Amino acid sequence: MTHSIEVDMLSVFAGPTRLMGPVSFSVAPGGTLVIMGETGAGKSLIAQAILGTLPGALRAEGHITINGSRVDTLPVAERAAMWGHELATLPQEPWRALDPLMRAFRQVTESYRFVAGHPPVQAREDTAEAFQALGLSGAEDRLPGALSGGMAQRVAFAAATAGKAPILIADEPTKGLDAARHAKVVDLLAKVPATGGTLLAITHEVAVTRRLGGHVVVLRDGQLVEQGPAKTVLSAPADSYTRALLDADPQCWPHSNPHSAGDVILTAQDLAIARDGKHLIDGFNLSLKQGERVALTGPSGIGKTTLLDALAGLLPPASGHVTRAQGLSRHAVQKLYQDPPAAFPTRIPLEKSLRDVARLHKTDWGFVLRTLEHLGVRPSLLSRRPDEVSGGELQRISIARALTVRPSVLLADEPTSRLDPITQRDTLRLLEKVAAEENIAVVLVTHDRHIADKWADRILKLAK
Amino acid sequence: MNAFARMALATLATRGVQAIIVAVIVGIVSFAMMQALPGDAAYRIAAGRYGYDMMDAASADAVRAELGLDQPTLVQLWAWLKTLAQFDLGTSAVYGTSVADEIASQLGYSLLLAAGAVVASLLIALPLGIASGLRPGGLLDSMSLAVSIFVRSIPAFALGIVLVLVFAVQLKLFPVAGFQGFSNLVLPSLTLGLGLAAVSNRVIRDAVVDAMSADWRLFARTKGLSARLTLTRHVLRNAALPVVTYIGVQLAYLIEGVVIVESVFAWPGIGHALVHAIFGRDIAMVQGTALVLGLTYVALNLCVDLACRGIDPRGRTA
Repeated sequence: MTHSIEVDMLSVFAGPTRLMGPVSFSVAPGGTLVIMGETGAGKSLIAQAILGTLPGALRAEGHITINGSRVDTLPVAERAAMWGHELATLPQEPWRALDPLMRAFRQVTESYRFVAGHPPVQAREDTAEAFQALGLSGAEDRLPGALSGGMAQRVAFAAATAGKAPILIADEPTKGLDAARHAKVVDLLAKVPATGGTLLAITHEVAVTRRLGGHVVVLRDGQLVEQGPAKTVLSAPADSYTRALLDADPQCWPHSNPHSAGDVILTAQDLAIARDGKHLIDGFNLSLKQGERVALTGPSGIGKTTLLDALAGLLPPASGHVTRAQGLSRHAVQKLYQDPPAAFPTRIPLEKSLRDVARLHKTDWGFVLRTLEHLGVRPSLLSRRPDEVSGGELQRISIARALTVRPSVLLADEPTSRLDPITQRDTLRLLEKVAAEENIAVVLVTHDRHIADKWADRILKLAK
Repeated sequence: MNAFARMALATLATRGVQAIIVAVIVGIVSFAMMQALPGDAAYRIAAGRYGYDMMDAASADAVRAELGLDQPTLVQLWAWLKTLAQFDLGTSAVYGTSVADEIASQLGYSLLLAAGAVVASLLIALPLGIASGLRPGGLLDSMSLAVSIFVRSIPAFALGIVLVLVFAVQLKLFPVAGFQGFSNLVLPSLTLGLGLAAVSNRVIRDAVVDAMSADWRLFARTKGLSARLTLTRHVLRNAALPVVTYIGVQLAYLIEGVVIVESVFAWPGIGHALVHAIFGRDIAMVQGTALVLGLTYVALNLCVDLACRGIDPRGRTA
């Protein structure tokens, strides 16, 4: 039988340096292959090598065969001819993968029109059907900037699969999506092999691997750690790294120590919030005690971020009150952001960013250094720019930055949703530790119910 | 009414208010600057009317009395603003003709020159910028950067004189100055266009580099669109946005350039007229031309605004 994808001794090089490999695997039609590993493990390089989209400075070695024909020796133009027809790709960041100036419907229509080759009227009908089937009704005239992450990923899915390519390559398709959308996207992917297609999925999430099954390849620092059927790898991992990866799945976390709460330091009374004239949340009540850990969950788009802004005093509430305990300045409430690179000025070395905060709030620089040490951040990292450290390191530095202000309350907006599982677990553990030591109350917004269960003292669920 | 029309009306209203503010400020500032010039305006105007040999102190005094130049400054300003409020630009102090009529015939020439300059700059900058942007760091890219810096460093009048010397005096390809036909348009347009293109080709290059390295461009390719379709349906539109915005920024350079280049080439336009009016202390003419230049600037900015909104659907409430 011809395999859909067959990879033999594939390595990727940057000059003389081997970044990834060698790996060998194959998937049959109707099969699923999941590549697991942390960010920087080289998972995406495999996808790019198969597609033929490796950046110019990188070079692939080894054999790649798609539907029985060898492709790694083909010129770029011939490999590009397979895109959309034989190989479909789901992008990593759906928002960035859609043309910001074109409405969602047209971005899918053009796939039916030019890739599938349907006449205009039929292409529009096909698009309407796809929008219906994917639950995208109402999003037709929206621009990508106005789509939620889950919607954008489904629009990208519709656009990518219009050409009915039998092989789908999905690179971290669930990055940054909330629990409900997460499940929907994974369900969508699971349908691919069920209907005879071939799925190659790349993920760092154990839950996604568990749901998709098939054959699993585990990578670490570009090296193949182990591979085998999902059942075996997930239940009886042969390698200690795979085991660590599995343990980092929030489902397997131990419960955090409950905190004996102190005085109330922040209260929200009958709070209602709105953003851009849109009514979001009503009748929200909270009384937050010193050192307490509260998880805030709810579907995306319900206004969790806006609620945090209101609690932080960054946004006036539509009605109701947010009251800080007496003697607390507004700086006593600090916020941690979802996307750490977006929360730092790009071209400024990290040390300058931190020193500025320390100077402004008259905090001793020694305190900042001790906090960083505590969070396991090497001081040598501070001379770098935000894009020169890893996401996990940057998020720990942003925790240190927030602590520099000596806050009593930390409002954390999905601070680990973009981090690898092991990094996520470590970061949240550290956050728990420093919060306990400094007696800081933390409100953690998360879309992962397991994290909420295991990490927080109590959970507040927001519902429509 | 659709979203674009609604938005266009809002933009129109904003720019309309802006136009009124610009008119008042330009009027007052140009009036103040004319007052601040040394020498006796009545003498210069009389000299302009009768010639230096034919005038004396008596004719200067007659001019002073006729134009009310002996009145207090604020009274003169108020008189001008009053006539302006009736959409009357007054009469030329030197020629006695209607300022509006003078400007009407000159403005057309200036707009022709400005359009010629923009066309020339796009003819140069578009191919150069796109080709450089498709191969960033390549030979063409590095060379266009060096040449752009060089050309932009030359003031417009010097560039104009160099072009005249080479193409008109030496090669005799185009006329030196004046306006007899469209062959006269080439050198002044090129003078201004080169200055504009020197910067805009780099802006176009950056826009193309950004668009070509964007995630959405790769996704458009991997979803199956050909390189050509990706370029025409996605890359050009996204790259056009910063370019059109930048052309709006260049309008200031363009208007300033028109004044200088018209003088170099004796072009019968509004800038040439402005310079002459300043020398002749033709106060009404100066104020009228400055005002029209200011309003043209607002009007052109409005066109750029509408073009940007047309390209970019974001911010339109659907």
